[in-house]
Amino acid sequence: MSPASLTAAQTTSRAHGAGSSAILCRGLGKAYRMYQKPIHRVWELLVPGLRKHTDFWAVRNVYLDIPPGSTVGIIGENGAGKSSLLKLLTGITRPTEGELHVNGRVASLLELGAGFHPEFSGRDNIYLNCSILGMRPDEIDERFPKIVEFSELGDFIDRPVKTYSSGMYVRLGFSVAASVDPDILMIDEALSVGDEHFRGKCINRLNEFREKGKTILFVSHDMGAVKSMCEHVVLMDKGEVVGQGTAEKVADEYLKRAHTRGNERLSALNRGGSTYPRWGSGEIEVHTVELVGAKNQVTHVFRTGDPFLVRMRFKAHQGAKKPVFGLGIYRSDGTYVNGTNHDWRREPIVLDEIRAGEEGVAELSVPELPLLVGQYYLTSYLYDHSKPAPTPIDQQEHVVTFEVIDADRQQHGMIYMPTEWRVKWSGPDRKEERESRA
Amino acid sequence: MFAIFSSLSHHRRLLRDFVLRDLRARYVGSSMGFFWSVIFPVVNLFVYMFVFQVVLETRWTPGQTPSEVALLMLSGIIVWQCFAETISRCTNTLAENQNLIQKVVFPAEILPVYLTISALINMLIGVAIAAIGVAWFAYGAEPDVVASAGETGQTIMRPIGLGPSLVTLPILMVLQAIFTLGLGYFLAAFNLFLRDVYHVIGVAMSVWMFMTPIFYPAEMVKKAGLSWVLQINPMYWLIDSYRKVLIYGVWPQPLTLGVFAAVAVVAFLLGSRFFLAQKARFPDLL
Repeated sequence: MSPASLTAAQTTSRAHGAGSSAILCRGLGKAYRMYQKPIHRVWELLVPGLRKHTDFWAVRNVYLDIPPGSTVGIIGENGAGKSSLLKLLTGITRPTEGELHVNGRVASLLELGAGFHPEFSGRDNIYLNCSILGMRPDEIDERFPKIVEFSELGDFIDRPVKTYSSGMYVRLGFSVAASVDPDILMIDEALSVGDEHFRGKCINRLNEFREKGKTILFVSHDMGAVKSMCEHVVLMDKGEVVGQGTAEKVADEYLKRAHTRGNERLSALNRGGSTYPRWGSGEIEVHTVELVGAKNQVTHVFRTGDPFLVRMRFKAHQGAKKPVFGLGIYRSDGTYVNGTNHDWRREPIVLDEIRAGEEGVAELSVPELPLLVGQYYLTSYLYDHSKPAPTPIDQQEHVVTFEVIDADRQQHGMIYMPTEWRVKWSGPDRKEERESRA
Repeated sequence: MFAIFSSLSHHRRLLRDFVLRDLRARYVGSSMGFFWSVIFPVVNLFVYMFVFQVVLETRWTPGQTPSEVALLMLSGIIVWQCFAETISRCTNTLAENQNLIQKVVFPAEILPVYLTISALINMLIGVAIAAIGVAWFAYGAEPDVVASAGETGQTIMRPIGLGPSLVTLPILMVLQAIFTLGLGYFLAAFNLFLRDVYHVIGVAMSVWMFMTPIFYPAEMVKKAGLSWVLQINPMYWLIDSYRKVLIYGVWPQPLTLGVFAAVAVVAFLLGSRFFLAQKARFPDLL
């Protein structure tokens, strides 16, 4: 670290060896200045005392005391101030108020491969990147073979970085970053990249760090990842720490907030839902589609395994013969997850006629929602099955959006499946069998 | 003030790596990288000879040969290009290296320095070619126009040649670096406040170039009664000193050099001070 960057804000010290905490924050806050016009910055610069900006507090009132050797996760929604806090802790930005003490050499992985030059080979970029990360020349020479080996780039190491795939780029970046030997390692969701194999190697590397008694700070919005890695979790919301403690304790608080937040966000999203296509002959109108979750509450956020009910309210403007209601469930990326209607079943419901002026509800209920974490949407169908080929009466694409959250993350993918695991092994002197049904 | 030097010495290895990377980027990207750095000044030399001597028939001072004028132009343009390129790159350097500044604890003060050093090293190629040109036309080629001018009784003013004054070349380069860095530091930081600076600089540098006697003799400006334009232009003082050393092999005027040194140091002090004062805000300004 340069002597210039050591002179932080007045109340900030980045001294070594003072105190027993790895990281200590007291009332830490960071305000970004927001200007209406870029020129206002210049006026402020030229005229002392002039104030043309409004403060935006990205982080405020943060009190943290992180003992050496602990692994701490920082979680929160997008925009909660996690990354801003991390930038403060790494020393990239200066706090506007409060005290910050960081004891030990810090390495941060806010971005992999920052400063790579596309024209140069992986080898050259390793040298420069190590240099940027503050390694001494002898350290670089010593670690170079390990970095190359870890990156698994093979012959590509001598080719220009611009020819790399994005996966290779990330691997090179992480290999360099992972070779830093800091006292405190700060990571900003850098692990969410790369293939499964490489991600596994990264997690191994982090575990090695932990075993060596280093302090790790891990920022993510993935509760599952944080829970598996960290014993201590800090929850941020709107720039403030709103909860900290054991992973289990904070996870509940996080989910509660995600519930309300998700509802706000998704209902806002749904209001603008009319931009999606809607068509049909229009004798019957499906005017409302509601989602009902646990405790019979209307919601847009569900947990895996929750009861899930879709209620379509309809009104007939004209009579219609043999109308059939249907629903399609899609994941946000467009994957068609499931589609059903009440006619094409072993025990179909046949509505001979709905008369003009009649109203009603059609409900689809799933006792235990098998969807895993993600965002999903529904398309509602109302078709006339009185003719040989069904024709649409009222079809609404993307009629409602919902989110599935999952604290436990025991399964990965899209669908929860009840699983049983069985492990058997035997040798000359014993025979063992284990089973897990839950 | 000393903060900047101690930081630079602390990061000398990183600085060296950046300079090497930049020099290699100049020469590595294309298959004939280094060759281009040599060929451009040579081509320029002949283009200037052609355009200004044959097409525009510019006469600098009576008795000057086309080769002398071409060398004067070449030396001017080499120094100017080094200066202008560095200023323009410095202005954009923080924005360009946004990644480093926002994502890593990075000594931003080395950025203008590496740009300056790399440009000066690159300039040396041009300087060498100019020196070879001087040697060739002064000692190698048969005297053409000069001889005939001598026969008609005109005095030959300041014949070209190389001399012991070449030892001042490093001094000129150091002073140029200090001056360039001063402006570069200021513009790099100021560009974050107002991004238009980068665009303005492009225009400002070409205006400045034509205000500086590079393609025309300073005497023309003086005759027009505009000597004050030259008196307030540090780049004229610098280029004039370079020409004295490189083309005529005489010592630069101590007064000119002294004033330029003073201006350079003041520019450096102010520029680097502004840069360091704003440095803590760089990640927020980007």
